[in-house]
Amino acid sequence: MAAQHWRRLAASPLAELISRGLAALVAGYLLAFGATAFLSVYLPLPRPDRVVVASLLCFAVWVGAAVYSFAARRPLRVWVVLVTLAGVFCLAAWLPTDWRMRP
Amino acid sequence: MKLRQSMTTLHTWGGLLPSWLLFVVIFTGTLACFDKELEHWMRPALHGSSGPASASAQQISDWLADNVSAPLHAYWIHPPTERTPFWQLGWEEDGSGQRGRAVFDPVTGAALPETLGGDFFFTLHYNLHAGQIGMYIVGLAGVFMLAALVSGVIIHRRIFKDFFTLRPRAQGQRAWLDAHNLFGVVGLPFHLVLAYTGVAIFVAAYMPAGGMVAYNSDPLAFYHEVQGGYHRNELDRPAGTPVPLDQLVTAAQQQWQSTDTGWIIVEHPADASSVVSIRRRDPSRIGSPQDTLSYDAFTGELLHQQQTPPAYRGYIWMVGLHMAQFGGSLIRLLYGVLGLAGCMMLVAGNTVWLRKRAARQTPGLHLVQALNTAVFFGLPVASLVLLWANRLIPAELEHRASIEAWSFVLTWLAVTLATLVSSRQPLARARALLGVMAALALGLPLVNFLTAPHSHLLVTFGTAPELALVDLTLLISGVLLAVAMARYRPRQPVPAARKTECGESEVTV
Repeated sequence: MAAQHWRRLAASPLAELISRGLAALVAGYLLAFGATAFLSVYLPLPRPDRVVVASLLCFAVWVGAAVYSFAARRPLRVWVVLVTLAGVFCLAAWLPTDWRMRP
Repeated sequence: MKLRQSMTTLHTWGGLLPSWLLFVVIFTGTLACFDKELEHWMRPALHGSSGPASASAQQISDWLADNVSAPLHAYWIHPPTERTPFWQLGWEEDGSGQRGRAVFDPVTGAALPETLGGDFFFTLHYNLHAGQIGMYIVGLAGVFMLAALVSGVIIHRRIFKDFFTLRPRAQGQRAWLDAHNLFGVVGLPFHLVLAYTGVAIFVAAYMPAGGMVAYNSDPLAFYHEVQGGYHRNELDRPAGTPVPLDQLVTAAQQQWQSTDTGWIIVEHPADASSVVSIRRRDPSRIGSPQDTLSYDAFTGELLHQQQTPPAYRGYIWMVGLHMAQFGGSLIRLLYGVLGLAGCMMLVAGNTVWLRKRAARQTPGLHLVQALNTAVFFGLPVASLVLLWANRLIPAELEHRASIEAWSFVLTWLAVTLATLVSSRQPLARARALLGVMAALALGLPLVNFLTAPHSHLLVTFGTAPELALVDLTLLISGVLLAVAMARYRPRQPVPAARKTECGESEVTV
């Protein structure tokens, strides 16, 4: 009974709205964070310019992620896609230890 | 779900939830376009005096040494300009980080009576007077605004055609939606740019990823390289005899071949490592010039001239686009009008939300209604009361600025409480508050006339247009608010006697 009750609650429009909203906020920020780190390393520019350009773009990434969070067909997939992308970006940015801090 | 439908969800909730906070940010931002004019207006001691501007930077620095005994981390001085005809001083105490602010007469160099000044609205705009936390809250509201604007454009199928559609005589919800679209579309490019450049200003705090990955989380190295600035750590040795500040200012002006000096910043003045940095001012450009000169405070030796990387100059250009300190009063007027359009977009948007749900008696209806009244009316009313307090509190009273702040806070609280306890219909409530605003706006030029002999319209009209315009704006707003109150009546006829009673009882709140 209880399990059924929870399943019904999780499938309710309110739960879906809250999930999408939190994904837009939290997972969206994570993606923006990952993208900024990635571009701060891989843009073909001197270090201060890489970092500034990447940082200034982060809000566009965040808003894009927010739009996707609401546009995607399945609410749970939003989390998977955004968090995975953010993780890949972060790994790619942090792994080359010396290269990421090149001048 | 279709894209347009899903974007409606984002727009509805992403717009409603931060709308009251965004109203505070946009309304105070609109006022902050004229912060320097308001600052000047709020200092009647400056009005009517004339003479050679003979005070010097050293005189201001000496006042600080005589009046503030705590050791200082840094202090900064700004010479008079056309829009700010007074010396400005700010300082930060060592250890506690406590900050102070004072303003000086350009002729005598005497400290002026304290007031919150136009700076109050500027600070409320970017951090709600809540320091770091406030800065993050405002930033988050800015991102919500971006998301609401983008989703609003996607929803809007006929963005061009609807722009020319206004049906004020249509059913309530339809007319409010038209108004929301009108203000939203007219201001769209402005709102997008201002929201984006607004969140970009504190990007280094909001998004530390770049500094973390490329500078290994070393903030000093990050700021040093990105800004091309200069910093010298404390040596923990007592300071020598400083070179007079004015001598350094003259040296800087010769270096730039320009006399327009901006902030003069003195870092840890009591330590042997003290550095004086002098910034150049150039209001003809969108981004302020980044060629700050840093001098040794004791030898006067030029230590460094700022060399900024191109991307940082791009960032400074975005900051300048937001701050509207370029291009003169026409630009600020445009920013002001479009800022008001932003406020109206929020008011109309929230009204659409309410009207859509009024028939269904959705839960939360009363909360949204109460918040609308408390914020959309409370903030303007409190701002007007602040200006009244500025004129009514005697100049020689101690803690004058705090009393001004309390008048603002208590007024806002009073409007909020009155909203919560009043059983009146929202429409009648709105009418009463429109009346209060009209009375406060129309009364201010009169109070000005009675309290400040050199500041009122009869004197300033013609001689000091920047002051007269504040009074004229208040008069025009007062008339418009009174007209709005007269026209904004409930559909069902209300006995005339009760209406006046409503208006009066609200005034005494």
